[in-house]
Amino acid sequence: MAGSRLERFGTVFTRVRDLLRSGVMKPSEKPVWFDVYKAFPPKREPLYVKPVQKPWAKKHETVPEIFYKEDVIRAKFYEQYLPGRPYDLSKSSFVSTCQRFVDKYSELQSRGELEDSALFEETAKALLADGVMLRRRGDPPVAAEPRNLNLSEMLAEQQKALDSEETSQLNSHPNTH
Amino acid sequence: MEVRMRSLLTFQTSMAARALAKGLCGLRPSRAVSVGYTCAGHQYTTAASIKPPQPQAEDVTEQLVNQSLEKPDFFRVSELISLKELFDARVHLGHKKGCRHRLMEPYLYGSRLDQDIIDLDQTVQHLQQALNFTAHVAYRGGIILFVSRRRQFGHLIENTARDCGEYAHTRYWQGGLLTNANVQYGVGVRLPDLIIFLSTLNNVFQQHVGIRDAAKMNIPTVGLVDSNCNPSLLTYPVPGNDDTPASMELYCRLFKMTINRAKDKRRQMELLQGLSPPSTPSL
Repeated sequence: MAGSRLERFGTVFTRVRDLLRSGVMKPSEKPVWFDVYKAFPPKREPLYVKPVQKPWAKKHETVPEIFYKEDVIRAKFYEQYLPGRPYDLSKSSFVSTCQRFVDKYSELQSRGELEDSALFEETAKALLADGVMLRRRGDPPVAAEPRNLNLSEMLAEQQKALDSEETSQLNSHPNTH
Repeated sequence: MEVRMRSLLTFQTSMAARALAKGLCGLRPSRAVSVGYTCAGHQYTTAASIKPPQPQAEDVTEQLVNQSLEKPDFFRVSELISLKELFDARVHLGHKKGCRHRLMEPYLYGSRLDQDIIDLDQTVQHLQQALNFTAHVAYRGGIILFVSRRRQFGHLIENTARDCGEYAHTRYWQGGLLTNANVQYGVGVRLPDLIIFLSTLNNVFQQHVGIRDAAKMNIPTVGLVDSNCNPSLLTYPVPGNDDTPASMELYCRLFKMTINRAKDKRRQMELLQGLSPPSTPSL
């Protein structure tokens, strides 16, 4: 079967179209996809693009960086506090501590009474009132209760607990021996 | 399957016709001879071939097939895609800025803390076009080949291909698979009519050889391009994430649904037109 293996010149469609037009490829050999491509061409013709040889030619940014207004608030939050609960990204309705802070901050800001530093304090107070745990950066980590690792004492406690259980059982079942 | 029989028929007739032409002129078929031959070509091919079951069947199939091109969304593939679903499957997440391919820049929405975010509005349009093309090719009985070199999703892709009755190649791509098919697989091999790349990179992060080979063999390609891939040679590129299992499952499901929809539509239209059902009892 006739074909053209020049992938760098023209597109798949132009090559097949020209082969058909010139008679090299018979109309009976027309590929299955030809009419479909003609009816629904792609947005960009699949032409081969030569790899650019001069990397120093142009380097201007065509892809913008994404920043939001709330990022300022988020930065201030993370300067002062540590992230609270771990983020659960599998749920799209998950709201993190930081996000709650940002929402409360923008709400208070829209009421328009205070400015930045006071606003920050107000939001923190509001969140603590709501019951959200806010851990400050630089605080020593919450120390666990110093465990009593004296094994003999622990054994004595356990024994006492068992004895009290037995006596309570005996009392509740008077017909047991 | 009757579809395969029909295709083999056309190939056999052309083979037979060429053999006849060679026998007649005793020369290599030159341009002049082939032109002169094409005039009588149709009569010749029907004489040499096995008689087709119904002569009107050809016209009816022509009509069936041309009818599908009239509407812009004959298979209603746009119903299968929604932006929210793409977002939830994390299709918009690209690689870091350093891995970005310069030809992917038009498809990116922006970069958030150096991670490229793919523009899902464009993805929806490209995906709609790609699914529409796939559906039409499946409707016409074309062979579709799923290719990917990601070992993580090889099993998923093979299952997808099996479920829609098409083919998959998720193993090592031998050099002459498409370009040297007649030698490697015997004479008269039918090559795929559409190749779907669910990941355009191979295991060493270079462009898959199959893309260049498909362009060489004049086979259109549909491919999922991430922010580190080259979309230039693909006929219908679809910018999107190809690394997360969620997004790959979404794509496999979408392709499977379109191909099955197209094939069911074909069977339905054939029954409506009163064409004979396929001879083999298997379905």
